[in-house]
This record gives sequence, structure tokens and C-alpha cells, in this order.
Amino acid sequence: MNSMRGNDDERFDALLRAYREACPTPEPSANFMPNLWQRIESRQSFTFSFQRMASAFVTAALALSIVLGVYLSIPRSYASYSQSYLEALAAANTLDTQDDDSPVTLDLSDLGR
Amino acid sequence: MLVDFELIKRAQKGESAAFNEIVLVYRKRILGTITRLIARPEDVEDVAQEVFLRLYFSLDQLRTAEVFEPWLHRLTVNAAYDYLRKQRRRQEFRMSDLSEQQVMLADAVAGGKVEHEEQYRKKIRESVQSLLGAVSEADRILLMLKEVEGLSLKELEKIYKVNENALKVRLFRARQRVLKAFGSAEAKEATGQSR
Repeated sequence: MNSMRGNDDERFDALLRAYREACPTPEPSANFMPNLWQRIESRQSFTFSFQRMASAFVTAALALSIVLGVYLSIPRSYASYSQSYLEALAAANTLDTQDDDSPVTLDLSDLGR
Repeated sequence: MLVDFELIKRAQKGESAAFNEIVLVYRKRILGTITRLIARPEDVEDVAQEVFLRLYFSLDQLRTAEVFEPWLHRLTVNAAYDYLRKQRRRQEFRMSDLSEQQVMLADAVAGGKVEHEEQYRKKIRESVQSLLGAVSEADRILLMLKEVEGLSLKELEKIYKVNENALKVRLFRARQRVLKAFGSAEAKEATGQSR
């Protein structure tokens, strides 16, 4: 069994040596450097536009935060919120509107004439 | 180291000519390593460009000269690993794919009975790649760097930043798995021949 394993080891090593010979180092093509620089530039332009987008987003978020901060810091009257429902209703029904709510009266004195 | 650290410093400052020089010095070595790691001649240049692209964008992180080469090796390993993972997704290498023809190749290597050199090389590549399907992409690269590229454990330690003993264990297990696949393929072949 061990000798078989040893045999496998040797055969496998021989296969790897043959593999190394079967994979010779290729000569780089004439376009290697131009293509590389093209890829570098395209990655750079992508990174640049992404950075610009991110910076625009950060600026917009900052501006929105400032606007919200200013809006929330302005003191406002909360009187309307402190009124109860009945108080609000009473305020809505002013004196001049009370006449409209009084019972309708008919003057029948003139009917017999 | 094949280049002066001053040249790297100039490249770090954005000098294109300096970066070009680094690429020209290391390009052939990287192309050779990638050829043996991925065994697909048509994609070698693409992966090598990816290595140098990663180098370009991470060069500013380099602080000392002595780590440059292990670092470049690591970039190569990572690019090859990414490529192999994509490839595996496209086409699964299964142990059942070990054809009789591939097993015959192992015999052909020993016997040297080859008619067409290029065809033979292609078959050798396919055979080894199929055998390496028995281990993960990471182990396959590690095994290749040690067994085919001939890197020492010290060099691998610098590349992987892993303790030498851990590397030895990993290499041993990977080799055992590949050997097992090799043995099964041979047994399959022997059974086929006896019928």
C-alpha cells in the first residue's frame, strides 16, 4: 500500500513537472501597457465620479440638516394646542353666530288682516 | 528585489513613468505565475492587468521596500483566486470529469509517448486542472505556488502572513486530497482497461 502511495507521489510529481513545462511564460502582447492604462483611467474616472456623487450627497444632507435645525430652533406659539376641544368650539361660536342658533319665531299678528 | 525602492516611491507620488517601469520589470514574472495558476492562456493577460491595476491603486499603502515582492505576490494570488472562483461558478470541475484520457496522460508523461506537442500540453493542463478540482481554490493556489512555482515555506509565510506550521498542515492535506483524486482516476482507468 505504501509503495503504491509512493508510486502515486512520484507520478504526481512527474505530472506537475510536465504541467510546469506545459505552461510556459507567455510573451506580453503589444497592447498590454495601453490596455492596462486604459483600465487604470477608466477606474479612476469611475472613482472620481463616485466621489463627486458622494460629496454632493453629503453637501445636500448637511444643508438639509441645517435647514431642519433652523426650523426646529424657531420658537412658536403652542396656544392652539393647549386649548381644550370645548374651548376651541366656544371660540369658534362667537356672539354674532349665536343669533342664528336661536329658535325661529313667526310673527302671526298680521295674518288676520 | 528587482526594482529600487526609490522607483516605487516615485510611482507612489503618481509618476506614470516610474509605474510603467515597475510593470515592465515584473510583468513577465507575474504572467508566468498566473499562467500556471489558472492554466488558461487566453485569460492570463487579463488577470495580469488586474494585478497591476490593484497595485496601482494600493501602491500608496506600501511603507517598506522588503514587503513589496510578497505583497505583489499576494495581489497575484488574490487576482487568480477571484478569477478561479468566477470560473468555478461558470463551469464546475467535478471529479467525475476525470476522463480516461486524462488518466492516460499521466502514463504518457512517464512514457513520453506524445505525438502533438501543443495538444499534449493542453491535455496536461486540463488534466492537472481537473485534479486540482479536488481542493478549494485557495488550497489549489497554495499547492501550485509550492509545488509548481517552487516557493519556499518562508516565502509563502510572508505572502499569506500565516505561521509556517499551519501552512505545512494545509499543504499536506491539499496534496493528500489531490493524490487521492489521482489514485481514484488511475484505478478507474485500470478498471476500464481490464474490461
